[in-house]
Parts: sequence; C-alpha cells; structure tokens
Amino acid sequence: MDRIIFGDNQFFGINHMSEEKAAIQAERFRDVGAIIRTLDIARDCGINALMLNTHTKVAEICDHFRKHSASYGDLRLYPSFPYAHKYADLVNEMGIVGAIREAVFSGQSTLQAFGTIARGGLGVFTRDMVTVMKLLVDAELRMFRELNVQAFFLQNIVTDLLLGMHATDVFVEFANYIKEKYKVCPAFNTMNMPRLVDLLLECGVHDPIVCSSINPIGYMMSPDKASYEEAIRSKPFRPLAMSIMASGAVAPKEAIDYVVGLGKVQSIVFGASSPGHIAETKRLIDEAFDRREQEAA
Amino acid sequence: MLRGGIVGFGRMGLTHYSILNDHPEVKFVGICDPSSFIREQARWHLKVATFDDHEKMIRSTSPDFLIVSTPTFAHAAPLHFAIENGLHVFVEKPFSLSSKEGRDIVNRLTGKSLVHQVGYVYRFNDVLLNVKDLLVRHAIGELLTFKMEWHGRAVLRPSGTTWRAKRSQGGGCLYDFASHAVDLINYCFGPPERIIGSVLKRIFSRDVEDAVFSTFIYNDGLSGHLLSNWSDATYRKPTLRLEVLGSKGKIAADFHTYKVFFPDEPDIEGFNKGWNTRYITDFVKPVRFYLRGFEYTRQLDHFISRIVDPDQPNVCSFHDGLATDMIIESIVNDSTR
Repeated sequence: MDRIIFGDNQFFGINHMSEEKAAIQAERFRDVGAIIRTLDIARDCGINALMLNTHTKVAEICDHFRKHSASYGDLRLYPSFPYAHKYADLVNEMGIVGAIREAVFSGQSTLQAFGTIARGGLGVFTRDMVTVMKLLVDAELRMFRELNVQAFFLQNIVTDLLLGMHATDVFVEFANYIKEKYKVCPAFNTMNMPRLVDLLLECGVHDPIVCSSINPIGYMMSPDKASYEEAIRSKPFRPLAMSIMASGAVAPKEAIDYVVGLGKVQSIVFGASSPGHIAETKRLIDEAFDRREQEAA
Repeated sequence: MLRGGIVGFGRMGLTHYSILNDHPEVKFVGICDPSSFIREQARWHLKVATFDDHEKMIRSTSPDFLIVSTPTFAHAAPLHFAIENGLHVFVEKPFSLSSKEGRDIVNRLTGKSLVHQVGYVYRFNDVLLNVKDLLVRHAIGELLTFKMEWHGRAVLRPSGTTWRAKRSQGGGCLYDFASHAVDLINYCFGPPERIIGSVLKRIFSRDVEDAVFSTFIYNDGLSGHLLSNWSDATYRKPTLRLEVLGSKGKIAADFHTYKVFFPDEPDIEGFNKGWNTRYITDFVKPVRFYLRGFEYTRQLDHFISRIVDPDQPNVCSFHDGLATDMIIESIVNDSTR
C-alpha cells in the first residue's frame, strides 16, 4: 500500500467538523476541472495514490484519466463504494428493492441488462442478497475499468451496517468476489475499527486492510481511542488512517506524530485543497515515517 | 438479556437492528416485514425468525420490547398490540397520522409501566443537546425570535412510488421530513399558542407538499419561523439551520457547529463577550457503536437503559410525539384556512 493516499472528501462538500467549510469547498470544486487541477498539484508533490468514492463526478474524473492514460498511467487508485447518499435518495424514492433494481440496471443498455440478468439468474430479486451484492459491486466499479486499482474499499455505512448485523457470510463473499473477479485487495472503511477487525479475523479474512479515523482526540473512533490503540498493537491487520486531523481540529504535526507513533500504521489518507497545505502535509508525513524507520533501524 | 422484536425492516429498521444487535444486553428474536424478499434475506443472513404479521411474531417469540419502523400509517396496529401484551415500545417518527390516533395509543399506556419512545433522533444530537442546555439555563436571556430551517434533496423529480409520496400513508415533506424540525421547535420552545401564515407548497410531487413555511406565536412574546424544503438540490444531505435571538444574546447552530453571541460579558462559564464558536470535535462524546450518526446509537441506548432503569427522565416519550403531531396538525389546518 502507498504510504500517502490523497483523499477526496474536500471535493464533494464533506467536512465532519464544519458545514460552512464544506459548503465553501463544494462551491470551489463544482466543476471537474477544478478537482483535476488539485489532483495534479498533489501528483506534482509526489503523491501518486488516490482514494475516490463513486460519486457521479468521479466517473468523469476516471474518464479523464483514461483519456490521458499517458500521463496518468502510473496513478494508483483506492476506490471506496458505494457513495451512500446516492442510495439513500434512491431508497427514499423507490424503496429498497426498487433502489437495487435502479442501481444495477441504470446506465446499462438493454443488452447489458440481459447479461446482468443472465449472470444473476432470472429471478435476481428473489434470490440471495449475495448475488445482488455482486451485481451492485459490478455496477459501482464499472467507472474504474482499465485503471490501476490497488484495493476496493467497502464504504463505512455499508460495512458498519453489516458489522452490526453480524452478517459474516456477506463479508466473506464480498472479500472473495473482489479478489477473484477484480484481482485486487478487498478493503473496508469503518467507524468501528476494533469491532470490525475482530469480526474479519473471526470469519477468516486474512490480514485485512481496514481504513478508519485515527486521531489524537478520538474523534469518530467508536467505542474509544484506547480500543483503537490496543487493536493496532495486537491484531494482525493493515491499518489505514483517515481523519487524522479530525477535519481540522488537530494541527497537522501533532496528528501525524500521533498516527505514525502508533507503530503499525503504514498508510495515511488525507485530503487538502491548497497547494501549500498539500505539500506541507506530505512533507510532515514523509519526515515522520522516515524518522520511525531510522529509529527502528 | 432483553429480547427484541422489530416490525418494518426498511431503511430505519435495518439501522435500528444493526445498532441494537451490537448492544451487549439485547438479542433479537423476531423480524416482521411484508416483503418476502426482505424476510428471506433476514432469515438466511441474520438467522432470526421472520414473520409477515406482528401479532404472530409477538405471540410466538415473546419479546420484551418492540421496535416499530414501518411507514407512519402502519404504526398504530403493532403499537396497540404490543402495549396490550406488555412490551416496551420504540416507534419511528412521526408518532401517528392524526392526533386522534396518537391519543388512543397514549391512552392505552395508562396504568402500565412500560417504556415508550418516539424516534425523533435529533433530540440526541450533540449540538442540539448543547443548544437545549443553553436555553434551559437562560443563557441568552428572554427568548424573542427563532428561525428553524430544515432543508434537503430527498425529492428532486416528479416520480416517487413509495409511501413517502402519499399523504394518506404519512408521506410528504411536513410529515416525513420537516417533522424533525417541528419536533425540535417543540423540544426547544414547547408547543406554540397559535400558528399562522402556513404554506404547504408543491414543487415536484403530485400528491404531497415539498416545502413547508409557518409562523409560530407564543404567549410570552416569543415568535418563530419554520422553513423546510426537501426539494433543494443545493443540500447534499438533510441540513439544519437554527437561529435563536434572546434579550442577552444569540445562538446559531447546524449539525456540526454552534455559535453563541453575547453583546456583553455573559454570566455563563466558559463563554466570552462576542462570538463563541464550538465545533462538534470539541464536545462530541463517543458511542459504543457508530452507524449513520452518534445520535442514532444514543437514542436506542437511552431506550434500553430506561427499560433497565425506568427512573431516568424520558427524552422523547409518546406524549412528546403526540404534542409534535398536534403541532403538525395545526400547520395543516392553518394552511387550508
């Protein structure tokens, strides 16, 4: 996994601390060109890995990457899906079964839809949820075709919903499907990292990649910060840290020193908008990791 | 260990199930839903008995409590049956489709010591808990005006095939969406003396309103506005904007931040003259399990902890739910005047 992965929340009006900041950023990145310019700045700073959700704008960004494959060929992607608000809106409008049908079949030609039905079996919607899950994965991941994907992350609302339900078979099926069909690592976003790591290990998912908030103030870390530190210390998994600055509540240096100081964390995902902020955060993360490696040696 | 049953396994049912299934004191024994697809999946993946009828479920699984997360029009029957059979009850908002229906349910509680709660989840939101605390402590003096805005993008085109697009089933912006804002007005300021100037406006929907505007008048000089629209594409998700002006200051809040302005040095500890901004990262308390928002876990843990220890004050009782329903009814009546 890459040491530094550039996150995308800032492009989609997501800020977990301030709606004002979120709204300002959403306006700033209203067109895809502005997003791509910022991604290019991050690449100029030496960040060659991106975490992207499956927002419709991301489909346009992916089109841009494919169209200019000569310049983006070495870019490594870590998509996270599904983009939850899209589904929440669909469920409001059509109910759960209607939303699944819309998500699987929208954007497909009649011929593709027939293919989908054939794969799922004619009675798609009376069959096993796992079949439906596979169709949804295919529908969501279509936008990343031909791109260099390192891992697919199941987004935290879905991960945590399944976690609370103890739907272990769905986790196993998901992990196997991603590995076998897409030949990439299955990965998970969660707000309940210690509980999820236990469940994944319990159901035999080997050395899972788990992305969660990790910050010195314990923000978005359920049940508590101490359980996170204990899980990182003692459990065999690959932690990826996000929200390290708790949406701006913690200063970059303090945040990075805390996360890197936890020892096992190998990767940090962070989002930023200004060139100065991107370069500075990248420099601080590199310094902290280098220092840790020197101390270990 | 408390045995739980759930009626209505849609979006809210799944959320409540997941959050409570993780609770160390809870075990679900039955799930009831009219969809055979949903029942089949629940039986297969969750290994819980499923039913198409709440009476059958309650008779054959004997739960201690029932979660009712059906559309509003289907709340009354399972609530009556559950109360009759001595179950503690949690019901999704809004409580009922009419104050008469709601009053019948509340009356059935008489003489029974059952825990009852309505799912007005934002009463458990960290920002609103702080705002409520400031109001209770009279931090900004006598209340003069408020503005409660509640916007979102739930309906952005004319279609819509679910109960949310049907008034008779509890759909529409006022019942399904703005009821949260009405309830927070009820929670923060109490029921108004009268309601004037109500407008229920259609934007995309054929049978229901997509926006609600109304003015609340109180006896003590307070007045306020409710402005809610679920057809505004500029909001990524349901968004609150609350402003309260008092004789000694002002509060402005959304789901992540609240600000308090004091024109003079306040007598309330931790605050200064001028603007005081508090971000959620400053004051939020973690929950045992997080799904969709801290408040979702907090409201269900409140329900369970009151079953264990009923002496704690009820943050959102059926009586509170009924009071909010009555305000909603007044808005509807005023709009047709």
